[in-house]
Amino acid sequence: MVKDITIYTTNTCAYCVMVKKWLGTKGHTYKEVNLDDHPERQKEAFEASGQLAVPVTIVTKKDDSKEVIVGYNLAKLAPAVA
Amino acid sequence: MTEAKKVVDAHSHRIWDVIMVGAGPAALSAALYTSREDITTLLFEKGAIGGYAAVTDWIDNYPGFPKGVAGLELADNLRLQAERFGAIIELGDVLSLKRSEGLIELDTTSGLFKARAVLLATGSDWKKIGVPGEKEYFGRGVHYCATCDGAFYRDKRLAVIGGGNSAVQEAIFLTRYASHIDLLVRGDSFRASEVLQHELKKHREKITIHLNTTTDEIVAVDNKVHHVLGTRKTTGKKIEYPVDGVFVFVGLEPNTQFLKGSGVDLDEIRLIKTNDHLETSVKGIFSAGDCRSGATMQIASATGEGAKAALEIREYLNKMKG
Repeated sequence: MVKDITIYTTNTCAYCVMVKKWLGTKGHTYKEVNLDDHPERQKEAFEASGQLAVPVTIVTKKDDSKEVIVGYNLAKLAPAVA
Repeated sequence: MTEAKKVVDAHSHRIWDVIMVGAGPAALSAALYTSREDITTLLFEKGAIGGYAAVTDWIDNYPGFPKGVAGLELADNLRLQAERFGAIIELGDVLSLKRSEGLIELDTTSGLFKARAVLLATGSDWKKIGVPGEKEYFGRGVHYCATCDGAFYRDKRLAVIGGGNSAVQEAIFLTRYASHIDLLVRGDSFRASEVLQHELKKHREKITIHLNTTTDEIVAVDNKVHHVLGTRKTTGKKIEYPVDGVFVFVGLEPNTQFLKGSGVDLDEIRLIKTNDHLETSVKGIFSAGDCRSGATMQIASATGEGAKAALEIREYLNKMKG
């Protein structure tokens, strides 16, 4: 079960739009951290994902375990939020 | 103005009139035409709706936008226009397809689907340069999407590899973040349009152009991209370009791997062969846009081909009905 979802995005990232759109169609709410507005938080996204890329989606489960998905990757995103 | 149609989902028809593989400019234009004529239309998209148009920062050569248009905005408008007439976009991947008993069967990540006709408009993906370090540091120093990942390089040094429109356009985009960009071009001149080359000159303070320069290796130190090793072709001299990241734009390769075993003929570079009616070697399967052999790799051409494909599909469906 999902406790919360955070997505790191930028203004020009089309795949960020896709992740948000997909989560929306599945009825999930999420917090968004826009790295163009908050460049000081880039380090968080990098430390979570190990990648210098967006979107980074962090799914926190009820037991506080986390899954990190980089990019618009439905094969990973779908089971993570199931 | 025509009223919007009632929303249905991907499973609302047992057999669709047409299923489109991809939801880039070609498929979205085709879907606008087909759905507007009450041809039931389903699109599958595994990446970004709008395709590479959506991840392009700014588009200056699409007609109807005298000041240019953001790629994301154009993509969203194409989507809205297709959906307005009832086209359905399913976010999923088509794994394989085959013709069976007069229909086309598609095995997808959302289940098995059947259609009377199919449009293949899968577009292309960025080519890799195939040098050491490229694969190893993908996503953490090596990138193919400036609009996605450029923000991580505020006040950093970058290399952009390539000499075509995309490389020049994305190098210019990256100047908003990077402190300096080395633009490495293998040829002795740019393939980019004159307009873009003229624009590039305005950024000479930040972008240094290196013609006749191969990219040989992306070298990391302490697990971080540190420099690009290149060779000046005219002298054979090896050169190190100190960088924090590398963006690669050396052309496109078609997304046609899933067609293996489908009977759809491809050309020598795996683009889909079609006849004058945009029909492939398999009856009822059509193709348009960047994945089609002979495509010009332009958004305006893709939308035009999408419209033509839709009219050909309508004709094909009418003949099916007898």
